[in-house]
Amino acid sequence: MKNNIISWIAQLIVVFILGQTLFFKFTDAPEVAEMFAKLGMGPFGYKLIGSLELVACILLLIPSSTIWGAILSWGLMSGAIMGHISKIGFEGNAGAMAGMAIAAWLLSCLIIFFRRNQASFIANMFGTKSSNEMQS
Amino acid sequence: MASSLHIDLHKISKFVNLSIPALFVVFLSAGHFVSFYFHFFTVAFLFMVIANFFYMTVQKEHVILKNFGLMGQARYIIESIGPEMRQYLFASDTEERPFNREERSEVYRKAKNIDSASSFGSQQNFDPSEIKIRHTMFPTPKEALQPFKITYGEERGLEFAYTITRPIMISAMSYGALGTNAVRSLARGAKLANIPMNTGEGGYPEYHLMEDCDLIFQIGTAKFGVRTDDGLLDDTKLAEIASKPQIRMIEIKFSQGAKPGKGGLLPKEKITDEIAKLRGIKKGADVVSPPYHPECDTVEKTVAFIKRVQNVSGLPTGFKICLGKVSEFEVLVEEMKRQDVYPDFITVDGAEGGTGAAPKAFLDGVGLPLLVGLASIQDCLKRHGIRNKMKLNASGKLISPRAQLVAFALGADAIYSARGFMLSLGCIQALQCGNNTCPIGITTHDPELQKGLVIESRAPRIANYVHNIEHDLEELLRATGCKSFSELTEENLYIPSDTVLGNYRLNSPEVQAAAS
Ligand SMILES: Cc1cc2nc3c(=O)[nH]c(=O)nc-3n(C[C@H](O)[C@H](O)[C@H](O)COP(=O)(O)O)c2cc1C
Repeated sequence: MKNNIISWIAQLIVVFILGQTLFFKFTDAPEVAEMFAKLGMGPFGYKLIGSLELVACILLLIPSSTIWGAILSWGLMSGAIMGHISKIGFEGNAGAMAGMAIAAWLLSCLIIFFRRNQASFIANMFGTKSSNEMQS
Repeated sequence: MASSLHIDLHKISKFVNLSIPALFVVFLSAGHFVSFYFHFFTVAFLFMVIANFFYMTVQKEHVILKNFGLMGQARYIIESIGPEMRQYLFASDTEERPFNREERSEVYRKAKNIDSASSFGSQQNFDPSEIKIRHTMFPTPKEALQPFKITYGEERGLEFAYTITRPIMISAMSYGALGTNAVRSLARGAKLANIPMNTGEGGYPEYHLMEDCDLIFQIGTAKFGVRTDDGLLDDTKLAEIASKPQIRMIEIKFSQGAKPGKGGLLPKEKITDEIAKLRGIKKGADVVSPPYHPECDTVEKTVAFIKRVQNVSGLPTGFKICLGKVSEFEVLVEEMKRQDVYPDFITVDGAEGGTGAAPKAFLDGVGLPLLVGLASIQDCLKRHGIRNKMKLNASGKLISPRAQLVAFALGADAIYSARGFMLSLGCIQALQCGNNTCPIGITTHDPELQKGLVIESRAPRIANYVHNIEHDLEELLRATGCKSFSELTEENLYIPSDTVLGNYRLNSPEVQAAAS
């Protein structure tokens, strides 16, 4: 019960962090274009990533697929963090972006843990039984 | 001797477990030096590296994952889809359980009203150890057949005696085990086919009543629908239910073939407002179904309880039993004679019977199979000269006309089927009845899954099934030379000694008495 509430709060925060950049990505905002240019990515690149982030947000909000959304956002944020470390750096605005990416990454880990029973290959990582197994 | 095809899983998994981090490093460099897009793979492999670390070091539950890591996971995935794969791809037409594809497709065809003639030869394992029906050289002409008709309660001269005119009835399946649409489809089909439907122990039959078919109300050991707060029989509630014109008979459930000698527990999570109302229980606490009726802890009280239900309801009243000990049943029969109280019918359920959920140990291991149970009860009643005091119903995988005719020959007056009707509804034997995940929407309360089960399209299938079963049964009956099912006896069967029944016959009390 308590874990459920914590997980929901985490889900909403992640959705917020991912969601607030989508508008800028899809409208080719100059800041976004500039930042992705450092990674060698053009409009195709950031729109692809924006689409994946949108999918992750939707999955995070559907109770039966939360874990898949969390895994996806975990992957996207891992990529973002690598981008900051290797190419973008942490100066000014980029630092704030990196901070949010790290926060979303950590929260995704938390959600994956709390929702581990939704997917048996995750549940197995912690040795717990998934809900499907318990039924049969 | 190492064959060339030998697969060393241990080596493969070691290779895989080394490749994953190696590939991670490769993609990491490619992402850094070539194109950032490679990092999509970097991230995927990072995930696998972490998962593998957890599988092999953190978790302590799964041996295969601990020893082989990610490779072991493949085994779980393949294992989990194994039953479906086997059912669709590899299982032959006669090897699935409980009903093989041959048996199922016969029901499907009957329910869809498709001709079920087959060509070239029988698909059955045609060895001599199968019970067969003996035909005569002089089959009964169609006109000479007597129409099927039996009247429950005629022995006691009841005002509300109940007559059925078709040989097959829908066996007990509770609302709860079945979802709303399934109950209503069955009930509407029963109405169309003019056969009665047993309510099962699901309490007040609200959804059955909507379709206005004839009903047999079942009293389970928890007395759902007719209970007092402490789980005993509430006479007023019973009288009230029995006074409804649709309720034609009462069945007291002593035991059921899938779990004889076992009670049940309705967990409080499953008790919705509706279930609480229909079953007459309180929310927020588990409800126990005891293994036997609390009123019936001795033979005397058991017979007295039958009498009480008969008196309160005024309807034909019988009980359902899966036979365990013949000697015990004998004592029960003696007590019936002593008190001069007889049930109007006995439903004999075989250990092969189905259920929504029961422990595997009970499903597989407890109770007498139908044919032996039925023959024993028939013998016992005859031995005591009271066979004419009641009717016998039989259930337990009687979904084909052949099996049903065998049951008639062993003494049954009418046939009960549960799963035959589930298959008619379209059941694909996914074996999910206890999980609320039935893909056909029969044994689930999930509205999404029930959506596909459209009542209007399902009810006619029930009627078709009944009609086609009846047709085949009559043809078989004529082949035996009998004019009605009640004329059938074991003489009409060929019972090889290495069948369960043949074996039982060789050792049964009658045969031994005759031999000595
Ligand atoms: C889903 C399901 C629910 C059942 N519920 C009940 C029940 O409530 N009470 C009962 O006496 N038997 C119940 N049974 C057992 C059947 O009434 C019947 O005795 C048994 O399945 C044998 O018949 P069959 O082989 O034609 O299915 C249930 C069976 C199934 C498959």
